[in-house]
Amino acid sequence: MSSRTGKPPVRSAAWRISLWATLAFMCGTIIVFIFLDRFVANDIQRRSDAWLSGEVEVLGDVAERTPNDALYNRVVGEVAELASREVPNKGATPESENDSVFFIQTDKQGALKLWVGTGDGPAHLEAIKAHALAGSGPVSIRVRGFGTPFRVASDSMGDGGRVYLGLSERDQRRVLLNMRVRFFALWLSLVLLGFAIVFFTSRRTLSHVRNITDAASHIGESDLKTRVPISSRNDEISQLGYTLNRMLDRIENSVHQLHTITDSLAHDLRSPLTAIRGKLETSLALRDPDHAESIVSAIEELDRLTDFLNKSLDVAEAKADALRLNPSTIDLDALLRSIIDLYEPSMNERGIRIRLHSATPVYIVADEGLIHRMVANLFDNELKHLPSGCSVDIYLQERDGEARLTLSDNGPGFDPEVREQLFTKAVKGRRSNGHGLGLAFVDAVVRAHAGKVNADNMDAGGASITLSLPLAASESQRMHTTHAG
Amino acid sequence: MRLLMVEDEHDIQAFLLRALSDAGYGVDVAPDGKTAETLAANNKYDILIVDLGLPDQDGITLITHLRQTGVNAPVLILSARRSVDDRVRGLEQGGDDYLTKPFALAELLARLRNLLKRNAPPASELTRVRVQDLELDLLRREASRSGQPLQLTPQEFVLLEYLCRNAGRVVTRSMILHKVWGMRIQPDTNVVDVHIYRLRGKVDGNGQTPLIRTLRGVGYVLQDR
Repeated sequence: MSSRTGKPPVRSAAWRISLWATLAFMCGTIIVFIFLDRFVANDIQRRSDAWLSGEVEVLGDVAERTPNDALYNRVVGEVAELASREVPNKGATPESENDSVFFIQTDKQGALKLWVGTGDGPAHLEAIKAHALAGSGPVSIRVRGFGTPFRVASDSMGDGGRVYLGLSERDQRRVLLNMRVRFFALWLSLVLLGFAIVFFTSRRTLSHVRNITDAASHIGESDLKTRVPISSRNDEISQLGYTLNRMLDRIENSVHQLHTITDSLAHDLRSPLTAIRGKLETSLALRDPDHAESIVSAIEELDRLTDFLNKSLDVAEAKADALRLNPSTIDLDALLRSIIDLYEPSMNERGIRIRLHSATPVYIVADEGLIHRMVANLFDNELKHLPSGCSVDIYLQERDGEARLTLSDNGPGFDPEVREQLFTKAVKGRRSNGHGLGLAFVDAVVRAHAGKVNADNMDAGGASITLSLPLAASESQRMHTTHAG
Repeated sequence: MRLLMVEDEHDIQAFLLRALSDAGYGVDVAPDGKTAETLAANNKYDILIVDLGLPDQDGITLITHLRQTGVNAPVLILSARRSVDDRVRGLEQGGDDYLTKPFALAELLARLRNLLKRNAPPASELTRVRVQDLELDLLRREASRSGQPLQLTPQEFVLLEYLCRNAGRVVTRSMILHKVWGMRIQPDTNVVDVHIYRLRGKVDGNGQTPLIRTLRGVGYVLQDR
């Protein structure tokens, strides 16, 4: 019942499934992107290199053909300027156009002849020379004062000089960065969306499983008629439901068989017992003083036999988890008070003191008749086994959603020889004169109500028996369960 | 009082017939459901005793059928079954009663009387009960014997009231447990006896004529004469 309310989503299977699925999805998409990124970066590089190589050839050509007069610098400079406007991957900012491209012309000795661009021409030339630029393709060169390296292509001229054309990698990088940022945003939203979808679908699917679990946990010791809900889709989960229901059919069938057997056994034994008891009572009514004593003890023996028969069948049914219950909400505190009221004079008579430590009503849902008989059994036990001068303390409290009832005495405790098998049928100590079903019956009743019994000797001496029974659901919880069901 | 007993076990029939006749009932016996229906159709009974396990049909079915044919007399259901059926519970709520086998005759008779009383027009609620020189004031919860007030605990008063209301008739231990403590239990210790001894010490003390008698193997009776 509490699985629905108490469990945080972080601990659920749906959470783990979605976490792992998302992780796998993240890794996959990251690998795909790395490949894509490599490919795009190479392509951009290749295209800008192609432009550089083409342009440097054209500029070299222009520089060669232009007459070497006073206008030479201006003409070549303007051509270079114009070329820089066609830079690929150019950023949107117009002021950057000047510093993204430079043009250098050197003479035969390698001295700077013409410089078009922003910044310090000789510094660029120095950087290029330091790199020992080979004749072939463009290379990346880092120039002092600039954050991003330049891609530089060169061409030789007929007069032995060289032309260099450099293009800043900044714009190229910005394009890549742009792409990466967009991809990351897209990737993040995809991952989150995927996680949400996986989480909600698996939670929805698993909620059917949880419904089955909830229903199955309610189909317990007494209620075998209910079946787990089956979703309309013919999937694995509805198969699970079908299988569970078939299993429940079989269990119900066996339990029904057991009931039939115990019923007919009870009937076949009780009918003659009724007749014998009736006859004995009729003879007793004749007031024959010679036989009265023996008739009376026969009736008493017969009543003990009946009680033994009832308890044996109860224990037998309970051991098979087939005890029939008629549950209602009962207050253990009030129940204990009235049983103590019944037993106290007998206890006092034998010099045993009894104390109840319970402050508030404690409600459980249980078969009242069985709980009465069970508690009476515990008291009978104390009454029969405690020597005079001892005391019994009864504690009743609510703890961890359970009603906990503890009976502890300061008597001799359980016989060590029977301690191990206190709750098995028909075990009794040497000094005991009962039929030994007492604690087995207690265990049977508590188990039938989904509770637990612990019995042991205390270190300080004396025996202690603790019963835990599930508390009755409060009004709000009951409504919640009804809705969920 | 005419009574119809529907019971197939011969031995049970025999002793019940005798005990019921002794108690003043005019008893007809039906060994199966068929006979019971015929008898009920031709006679008017004040009360019925029906065993649940009949050879030809289920006791509950018989009761339902009799009710449909206009038999309104209260029914005491006898059951040798293990658990109390929901349908029996339903009948119990409808004013009938049940008793599991084996039972004490005293309890059977007490339940029959209760059923007849329940269906009789309600007598005006008693406020005082008097049995010989024992007097109970039910409103003030006080008891006195020969004019001398008795110091009773509330529980002792309830027990004495129950004995007084059944004065002259036997009450068994299980009847006391059921009616005074509200429990259907069978303790294998003498808890009820101790209550009775204590009560007797207060009621029959001081050398007065004993009122509360023990019938060993049966129960107790508060003598009314």
